[in-house]
Amino acid sequence: MFLDIKKQQPGRKRPVIHAALLPATLAVIFCGDQAAAYTSDDGSLQLNGFVENATYTRRHVGLSKMRNTAQIEGSKDYGAQGPFSNVSFVGTFRATYDAVYDLNDDEFGNKAGGPINMESVGGSGTSPWGASNISTGTLGFGFDTTQNPNEGLVNLGSALHETEGGVGMGVPVRPCDKDSRGCIDDYLDFDENELKYPEFNDRLDFLREAYLDATMPTESGATWNFRLGRQQVVWGRTDLFRVLDVINPVDFSRHNIYDELEDIRIPMWMATGEYRMGATETFDDLNMQFVWNFDKFRPSNLGQGGSPYAILDAGSFFRAMKNCWDNGCSVSNFAGGAISTDFPKHVIGIRDVHLPDWSLSNSQFGVKMEGDYRGLGFSLNALTYRSQLPSLRAVVDTADNPFTPAIESQHYDYLIAFDMHFPRVNLIGGSLDFYVDDIKSVFRVETAYTQGEEFANTLKPELYSESDVFRYVVGWDRPTFIPFLNERRAFLLSAQLFGQYLVDHERQDVNGIEAGIPDWELNHIGTFLMKGWYKNDRVSPQIILAHDFKAHASTIAPSVDWLISDNLRLTVGANIKVGDGAQKFDDCRACNPFPPFTGTGSPGDLALRNLAGFEPLGRFRSGPIGMAQAEDEFQVTLRYRF
Amino acid sequence: MRLLNTTLVAGLLIAATLPAHSATNEDVDNSFYPYSKGVPTHEGVKAGLVIDQSNVEKYKDVIDPAMFEFISQGWTKITVGETTSFDLHPNYVQATRDGLGKVKLGEKSGEIEGFVAGRPFPEEPSMDDPRAGEKLAWNYKYGYNWGDNAAIYPFYWKYKDMNSGKLERTIKFNFHFLNFKHRVNQEPLPEITPNPAGLFRAIYVQALEPFDVKDTQLLIHRYENDLKRDNAWLYLGFQRRVRRLASGQVTDAFLGSDVMIEDFEGYNGRINDMEWTFKGARNILVPFYHHNDLTLSEEHKEKDGYQFVEMGDKGNCFPQITWQLRKVFELENKPKDANHPISKRVHYIDAQTFTIPRTLTYDRKGDLWKSWQIGQAHPDHHLPKNKGTGVAVDDSFTMIDVQAMHCTTGQFKGQVDPSLNPSNKFTVQNLRASGR
Repeated sequence: MFLDIKKQQPGRKRPVIHAALLPATLAVIFCGDQAAAYTSDDGSLQLNGFVENATYTRRHVGLSKMRNTAQIEGSKDYGAQGPFSNVSFVGTFRATYDAVYDLNDDEFGNKAGGPINMESVGGSGTSPWGASNISTGTLGFGFDTTQNPNEGLVNLGSALHETEGGVGMGVPVRPCDKDSRGCIDDYLDFDENELKYPEFNDRLDFLREAYLDATMPTESGATWNFRLGRQQVVWGRTDLFRVLDVINPVDFSRHNIYDELEDIRIPMWMATGEYRMGATETFDDLNMQFVWNFDKFRPSNLGQGGSPYAILDAGSFFRAMKNCWDNGCSVSNFAGGAISTDFPKHVIGIRDVHLPDWSLSNSQFGVKMEGDYRGLGFSLNALTYRSQLPSLRAVVDTADNPFTPAIESQHYDYLIAFDMHFPRVNLIGGSLDFYVDDIKSVFRVETAYTQGEEFANTLKPELYSESDVFRYVVGWDRPTFIPFLNERRAFLLSAQLFGQYLVDHERQDVNGIEAGIPDWELNHIGTFLMKGWYKNDRVSPQIILAHDFKAHASTIAPSVDWLISDNLRLTVGANIKVGDGAQKFDDCRACNPFPPFTGTGSPGDLALRNLAGFEPLGRFRSGPIGMAQAEDEFQVTLRYRF
Repeated sequence: MRLLNTTLVAGLLIAATLPAHSATNEDVDNSFYPYSKGVPTHEGVKAGLVIDQSNVEKYKDVIDPAMFEFISQGWTKITVGETTSFDLHPNYVQATRDGLGKVKLGEKSGEIEGFVAGRPFPEEPSMDDPRAGEKLAWNYKYGYNWGDNAAIYPFYWKYKDMNSGKLERTIKFNFHFLNFKHRVNQEPLPEITPNPAGLFRAIYVQALEPFDVKDTQLLIHRYENDLKRDNAWLYLGFQRRVRRLASGQVTDAFLGSDVMIEDFEGYNGRINDMEWTFKGARNILVPFYHHNDLTLSEEHKEKDGYQFVEMGDKGNCFPQITWQLRKVFELENKPKDANHPISKRVHYIDAQTFTIPRTLTYDRKGDLWKSWQIGQAHPDHHLPKNKGTGVAVDDSFTMIDVQAMHCTTGQFKGQVDPSLNPSNKFTVQNLRASGR
């Protein structure tokens, strides 16, 4: 229904005009006047950068991004200093203004959302937020709607699916200074300015890079290289997937999984030491790298509820849950699995987020040995770090039972009340690349085995469990002439297969539903890139395909790059999703946390389990591609480099 | 009769693989100092002569076919300079003498035996020798092209529409070359160790401008064993990752230019990838000159006063240089790979330096596709640091795609300077370290 309403007003934001006008204006401005980089007379100081407009429009939504970026990249070479053969400083500064929060504020800004209804298939059919079929007046149920009114809300997952008898929740979607409901302090609590200007925050994110680099030769001929400051440390050989490239957290709010990692890695204050041995008696090239991430922990930015890009729509789920704990909330089809229910505060939801404080023991350390042996590139990697993705542990010890008048403030097994943790993860892995002449192909392999990751698990009283995880990517690159498309220039064909195996996976079929860990025990995502070049590489069309095998969800992303001049580049593209979207899983409505009120038997009794829905755990089965099925986009990006 | 034929063929093959018994010190002198007794002559060709559309027919015999066509069309002209000797470094010549009688081809293409350093086959090539082309290819591969090492620092490439003259793109590079083996001049001699992979040579390329390709780096490792495929890696700044390249990409347009990686320096590939045929020795005009005697470009003038070669004529695709009448070996190479984008190259190899100043490239249908010209500057009339290095300095290039009417021109600042080319610059790790 929600989708249908929107479908009646396609293009109401004149998205294509928006997408084209600003870049066209910039093109006119910059074609006429060549800005220039700066290099000092002695060549030791260099400054360059770019300005960019990225305008994206989403089907049935209108403008989803109008990001205007200015980036300055500079380096200063200090030459030889003391024992160092060379010392230099590198700085990158980025400022962004995303006008979508002004131009489409009824979708993503101060006017976003509105009043919502909650499904109640066993009751009145639907009921307004705060006026569920079970509400104030029934035992301890109900919440203060003056604190938590029916405004500025959307139904969780409504862009993707109807409630269909499952759990439904309401998500406050306005910036946190406009509506603080569900905002998680120091994690997903962005106010309007922080959403519009994401680099300007208390973590100084406008400093994309600021590090000192020093090289120290040794008598053996090897060199030490030290790098200290805010930086990105890139491991691995894989595009798109993060198997070994996990040292820096990532900002998925910028464009979900689709931006270059270079642009979405969140730089951290780190120290690296590299011992570069060069060729040895055995290896063609060998080096060791030590990485110490001493920055205060930062999780990946998953995108806040109400922002245009949120991987797995997890930020919306978290915001809905945080609001539930803090203020109470309406939930569709809950009581008896069919009746809308107004939960009071401190019953279900997310209570606290435990972001690791800064301490030596919370810092992160990695070591990599990398080299080349007879044409085989290799690396061996080890890293101990804090998970950049949150784990929800149902270990809250101050929850209330709404069926009783007393405020219990205690722990209940299987209660969907969580604290958010970021567990320590230990990773070992490695990578290879090699060339196979017979088929003119390069192969890339990357693997990682982790211990300490945590996953939702509805079979456990704490509703989570730990699992070792084995991830791998096999990549294949082949330049290939396709004469009927271009006789003179080969196309790059590149395919990757990403696999994830949860070693300690647990799942059961119970009374016709699946319960346990919603993530697939073994799943694969395949990608394929075909890229061509015309007009002396000034025009480059490409198409990227990605397919999640278990989620049955795909992305098709065609684009064309046009290098208008040495400075000006226009990219026009689309991102189209096909396949299945939302998927169902045990939603724990029948987990029986408050026996005998919620059922006979003990908490978690499997005999009671028979309810599944899209929310909240189906997202882990749909994956990032499936969860974004409603986000078809047309994209125009204009970048002027100087 | 059949036995006789088999025996005859076997005998010829054996003869071809035997050490070059005929090579003598006199051959070495003739090879390295061909103009000691006089320079080539052709009626009417003398320093100062300008060959243009009006008189080109008269000099057809001393101009390669593509250049003849260009001049006939009125696209460019040739200004003749005095033929001068480009003496290679005496250590390289001595290494050639030291190897006399010790070097021979292996049984298979791409195999050589007994080679230490210098020019492997200094004797005059014979049309009767079925493997003469291969020997010339070895002489080129082990030539003193850039000496033991050198850098082109910086190196401007410009993409141009030949019809309109529109400058489409300017890329600024640094190129670095280092020989790991067969070194004759700069320590360590004769080989940089450790060298577990058995590298013969490495090329490292760094793109500096414009900024969409800034931090792009290319590394090519060529093995001593010619039968072993090159290794190549590309560092892309926007990915901050090193990608191993498939060898097919060496036949692809390098960064959108008209030049393949395989075209670098005239030919940048394995001997075994091609079938080599010696087509004869000729005296023709080739782009050899004294850089400091030219009228040079005011654009990109360096702080030390160095000026690059000027480009001009049709589409600004032609280096404004002088040409010398010199002895060349015409050498044809045909790819063994049926999927190779070209059908053949015809190289005009300078007999004295074994550099390749002119190459004509033919497409798969056999039509002329590209004209590849690398201007050679005398080191004693170039940067002061190059004086006495005995290196014929690559100094200007133009690659003209005659079918697309497009060209890529190159302006060099070649520097024979070991300090610019330490061996650790030629490692995969250096790509990561130098990238951002």
